[in-house]
Amino acid sequence: MSLPLVLFFIVAFTTGLSALAVVFSRNIVRAAVWLLFTLIGVSLTYFLLGAEFLGASQLIIYVGGTLVLVVFGVMLTAQGPFLQLKTRIAEWVIGGVLAVALFALLVKTSLELGKSAATTPTDPKNVTVGVLGSAFLNIKEASPAAPMTGYPAGQEAPPRTRMGYLLPFEIVSVHLLVVLIGAAYLARAKKRMPSPPAKGATP
Amino acid sequence: MVSWFLATPGRIYVLATLLPLAAFVLLFLGGLVRTTTRRYRRDSKTASYFYYMFGGDRPIRAGAYLVTFAIGTAAVLALIGLVQFLRDANVPDHTAAMLDERWAERTIWAQIGPIDPDSPAVRPAVKLEIGYRIDHLTAVLFAMVTIISTGIFFFSIGYMRDEAGGSVTDHEVMAPGHHDHGAEHHQGVHGHLVRRGRYGRFFLYLALFCFSMLNLLIADNLFQIFISWELVGVCSFFLIGFYYERASASTAANKAFIVNRIGDAGFVIGLAIIWTYFGTFNFQEIQAKLRCTPNDSDGTASPVDMVDTMVRGNRVPESPNKVMLTPKGKDILLFPAHWHAGWLNKGEVMARVPVERDSDFTTIPYLLLIVAGLGIFLGCVGKSAQFPLHTWLPDAMEGPTPVSALIHAATMVAAGVYLVGRAYPLFTPEVLLVIAYTGAFTLLLAATIALVQTDIKRVLAYSTVSQLGYMMLALGVGGWTPGLLHLITHAFFKALLFLAAGAVIFGLHHQQDLRKMGGLRAKMPITAYTMLIGVLAIVGTPFFSGWYSKDQIIGQALGFGLANPAHFALAIAPILAAALTGFYMFRLWLLAFTGPPRDAHTYEHAHESPWIMTVPLIVLAVFSVGIGWGPEFWKPDGSLVGQTLHKAEPASVELTFAKATHAAHENHLLAGGLAFGAALLGAGLAVWIYGLRKFDPETLRSRLAPVHTFLLMKWYFDELYDALFVVPTVKLAYFLGRFDKRTALPEDAEAADRRIDPSSIDGLLSALGLLMLAIGIRLRAVQSGLLRRYILVLVLTTVVMFVILTLLGSESERRMRG
Amino acid sequence: MTELTLTHFLILGAFLFTCGVLCIATKRNAIGILMGVELVLNAANVNFVALARFSPTFQLEGQIFALMVIVLAAGEAAVALAIILNFYNNHSTVDVDKAEDLKG
Repeated sequence: MSLPLVLFFIVAFTTGLSALAVVFSRNIVRAAVWLLFTLIGVSLTYFLLGAEFLGASQLIIYVGGTLVLVVFGVMLTAQGPFLQLKTRIAEWVIGGVLAVALFALLVKTSLELGKSAATTPTDPKNVTVGVLGSAFLNIKEASPAAPMTGYPAGQEAPPRTRMGYLLPFEIVSVHLLVVLIGAAYLARAKKRMPSPPAKGATP
Repeated sequence: MVSWFLATPGRIYVLATLLPLAAFVLLFLGGLVRTTTRRYRRDSKTASYFYYMFGGDRPIRAGAYLVTFAIGTAAVLALIGLVQFLRDANVPDHTAAMLDERWAERTIWAQIGPIDPDSPAVRPAVKLEIGYRIDHLTAVLFAMVTIISTGIFFFSIGYMRDEAGGSVTDHEVMAPGHHDHGAEHHQGVHGHLVRRGRYGRFFLYLALFCFSMLNLLIADNLFQIFISWELVGVCSFFLIGFYYERASASTAANKAFIVNRIGDAGFVIGLAIIWTYFGTFNFQEIQAKLRCTPNDSDGTASPVDMVDTMVRGNRVPESPNKVMLTPKGKDILLFPAHWHAGWLNKGEVMARVPVERDSDFTTIPYLLLIVAGLGIFLGCVGKSAQFPLHTWLPDAMEGPTPVSALIHAATMVAAGVYLVGRAYPLFTPEVLLVIAYTGAFTLLLAATIALVQTDIKRVLAYSTVSQLGYMMLALGVGGWTPGLLHLITHAFFKALLFLAAGAVIFGLHHQQDLRKMGGLRAKMPITAYTMLIGVLAIVGTPFFSGWYSKDQIIGQALGFGLANPAHFALAIAPILAAALTGFYMFRLWLLAFTGPPRDAHTYEHAHESPWIMTVPLIVLAVFSVGIGWGPEFWKPDGSLVGQTLHKAEPASVELTFAKATHAAHENHLLAGGLAFGAALLGAGLAVWIYGLRKFDPETLRSRLAPVHTFLLMKWYFDELYDALFVVPTVKLAYFLGRFDKRTALPEDAEAADRRIDPSSIDGLLSALGLLMLAIGIRLRAVQSGLLRRYILVLVLTTVVMFVILTLLGSESERRMRG
Repeated sequence: MTELTLTHFLILGAFLFTCGVLCIATKRNAIGILMGVELVLNAANVNFVALARFSPTFQLEGQIFALMVIVLAAGEAAVALAIILNFYNNHSTVDVDKAEDLKG
């Protein structure tokens, strides 16, 4: 019962419960809050995995950015304080069955994967912020050395070629620019249609 | 440009063949423009401009002149080609191969398989070719066809002028009672049909026909001939049914095409056998494969007693690669493209069978060769109107007279005889015997029927059938040159006779009955005397063209009869027919042109034809006399055309009919005398009865009334075929049709329409369609537009796929671990 | 179970993923669907980082991947929200069941 394990269980349970709450809460604002807790939980998971930079950026970007965006969206599309959009029971049942099946499959695969030989724990100090940054700037000497996977057993694997990630970095930046422009254009101020009589939505 | 011709002078024939086709295409396009713009001629200026440019409401005459010009040019080219070819062929050291380089070409049209004939263990390519090969026969026939066509085209310009008007009244058709919305046909005086003239269409079809016929003549392979064969059949159909509103004409057109088609079925069977065993359609290749060539592929001389003969043998069962050569073998040896004379000793020959490449020997069962020959001959029987497929030709007289002259006298029906002549090396002696007997029987059959016919065109039609029988008989008994010479001379004088008959009909305002004619000699002298020349030619009067060919035929037949006494009937038949021919031809002429006029009204209005129609008559009359002449024109075999044709004779003729030809030469004076005597007898009898009127034919008719009726009803062949074939087929069709009819509808018609009746084939197919419709409607519900449902389906699919992959993965893992 | 291994994290990722899918499938509110998408993306990220930690060859790449995913998810959320706002402007509702114009 080591500390990491205990911590993991605490974090995992919190995250899982929050995720379930997101699914089952009928109020959209409540769901947004539960999503907040889920995202924080995921960030804590990253910290547990030794990816500090990633955890931090998750908090900043997801929680501080995306979630705020979602809340803004909720507010802008509000249809009355206690308006709820209900799903029928039958759909819950079907969805639930499928979800359970999917989960079972994924768990089964995870269990098998966890036993395979290619998974040995690594030193989290190998990948720090500095290393990540260097990778994005194409400074290849800073990347951690490791054998390549996929070679048949018995053959000598050549040392891996160091890789740089400058190109994806640039592409993502351009992508963000495009998204910025696109979203701004899509959501520009337009004439709003008059609200229809409240039908199909239960108060 | 000229160098293109000088390189391969044979191309002049290609140009001459394509000229009528070009005229056809131009006329067709013009007619197409006219038809499409007709609807809009009142609405649009461009449309009406084009409409009137291409003739407008009346047919345009320029089309006819264009076509005539094209065929005239083709005739000139044909003559130039003929002269060139003869000059080329007469040079002593021009071998056949050298001639072929300059006067023959071919190209592959469609091919399946490898091009290299020696590629190992692969069947040689099956290929269809287009090509032409000019030899003496083709050159002479080509010139004949084009010259006669030109004459007939000039004639038709005058003859068909009734069709050039904007509206034509057809006195034999009653118009439909109500007003047609298109106002194309409407009622005229006395309720007869009034329609637009079809002058251009006539020349359109004639142009296409000329092209097809010429293509048939220059073709060097059976398949191309088959294509042209069908094309001329189609043109014949169009032209016979030219006055298609007349029920008689459209029925006759159907009959012609259908009967022809029966012959073509045999043709196709022959083609199939030839393709299977020979692998080629080319005449030269077939001949080289079938009959031992004088030299093998290395140039070594072949065994003398086998040259130009079919080599028979048997496959050796123990070693299936070998063929034992014996004179009475069941198979015929087929020579490969490359072979060695040393292999052809009596006894065994090495033959790699089945054929794997072009250089292998192979065999064809003798029986199948006979079947192939009979198949091709059946095609000729259909096309040349021999017994039993002769019934269509007399009915084909429903078409305009120039059509009868061109197609059903001079050219198309000659195609059958031409093919027999061309494919001669293919025919075994048994097949040749069948050809001879068929020809002989048809000869007598048609001659007897012609004795009693009263329609001027019918007499000539049966005369044509009879003369074609002559040609077939000639070819069957080994008279290759006389038979084809008769083809040429017959073409000229039969065309002349038909055109003269046409002039008579034209002059009498479409009166065709002999019983209403008489004494027309005074009214239309040119027609009368040119027709007399034609009659003298057909009868076989010495020094007229018919004599040169007929005399030879009878001589050869007599020789054959003497050499093979079992078949002496073949020698008697043509002599008998000569007598009958003399009789009915003179009867025709005397009834029409001499004696007191039998119908005053007709005689009143009779007049001579315009010059455009009489000049072709005169030209053809000159040809009818002179075409048979040669430098020694007093000799029966002195015909220049005949001697030219003789150069194209296949070598197998001499070999197969050596005894008969020898006997013919010995007895040629006897034959000539018999022929002349028979013709004189027949003609004299006709003159006595119809000219001098010493004997009333009416008494003969009443005394031999059953015979007369039998002959008049064409030996009841039409009725026989009707009972044997037509009625059962129609009955069967009605019976089968009952499967497709629905059961009786109830009073509520709407519900019945919606009800599907699977017991009928129609209902079954409808049910299938409705089933598809129902499935489609159900499946439409899948596209609900609801996003969440799509997501669920996505997840479901993913789960299912995962499961399958996991199961499969674990299976393979288990198998890998062993 | 005594050690923190890869399996634990993978199962966590699987659970988050399933919740996300269920969220997408059942929520009628468009924003709710967006939340489900976020859950799915986060689950994938957890998998990436877990494998980065537990696989020598994937150490650097896993985290880089996850970073990319975060960035792109943010962008995608922005655009998705813009679309939802547009939809709201046109239909005055965010109920996705009303968006059935593509019905067959």
